[in-house]
Amino acid sequence: MSTMITGGCQCGAVRYSVRSLGRASICHCRMCQKAFGGFFGPLVTAHGLEWTRGAPAHFASSNKVRRGFCDKCGTPLTYDWGGEEEIAIGTLDDPEQAAPIIQVNPADKLSFFETLHELPVRTVVDNAKVAEFMAGIVSYQHPDHDTENWPPNHGEGSGNG
Amino acid sequence: MPDPVSTGGCQCGAVRYRISGALAEPHICHCRMCQKAAGNYFMPLAKARKSDFSLTRGEPGWFHSSDPVRRGFCAKCGTPLFLETVGTELLYVTLGSLDDPTSLPPTRQCGTEAKMPWFGNLEGLPAEETEDSDAMDGVPLTAITATNHQHPDHDTAKWPLEQER
Repeated sequence: MSTMITGGCQCGAVRYSVRSLGRASICHCRMCQKAFGGFFGPLVTAHGLEWTRGAPAHFASSNKVRRGFCDKCGTPLTYDWGGEEEIAIGTLDDPEQAAPIIQVNPADKLSFFETLHELPVRTVVDNAKVAEFMAGIVSYQHPDHDTENWPPNHGEGSGNG
Repeated sequence: MPDPVSTGGCQCGAVRYRISGALAEPHICHCRMCQKAAGNYFMPLAKARKSDFSLTRGEPGWFHSSDPVRRGFCAKCGTPLFLETVGTELLYVTLGSLDDPTSLPPTRQCGTEAKMPWFGNLEGLPAEETEDSDAMDGVPLTAITATNHQHPDHDTAKWPLEQER
């Protein structure tokens, strides 16, 4: 059985397919933190990566490495070191295909990382104002599958903004 | 006591911002829109009043992820930076883009309907300490650290920095 592995940016201008996935990791280094605007960079080696719509723009974060992103919506997409590229796991249409197995560069790990999962959870119904805002959201995010046309019909996705 | 001031920006430094005032409600959002926009498992955000916010260098690109919300990013390096609820007084910044993300630990989670099933296990993953002799995918780490093009974690008088690129 072959499972199609696809993904892309939030707006859908850049889409890719992958034959298979290698090692999945989360990287705590300050370069991944800042490049992702997040607490770490989740990356997985992409075997047989092909761009099926558009192409990423690049920033050379050092002389050896460039990082690919969508210049229309900003989604971080790749870590390109010159060999097989790594892709940002959150851009997979099904990120559950790449459960991370290792943490790298723990020296830069943020002090509160280990307790993130213990944080209290706010649900939409906790706050009437938030619920009202969410009810009015029509998502323009590209759906989590390939589409014939782009831009897609709005409102196919799900999410909170 | 003076108001706290927070600064931050994108990886390349083309877009820099400053917030003079408290950043409220630091949180992580697991919703699928924040996941995909961040290329990540969740997006960490905190709230600022637009009246406290200023761009100190450059202008972000924007993507309207829905009618009420647009997301700001650096069009030169891609770093996700802002989430703006259009027509309100509020704007959110991504916590990883702060110059000092350690200063603002998140206090709650939302969008947990899309939370990755392994999220609670991330901190238990085996960890590799960095060694000077390490290589990342065959690239010596010394070659990366010696030529780091990331903007420093503070404002600078000039950009790009005067160095070989």
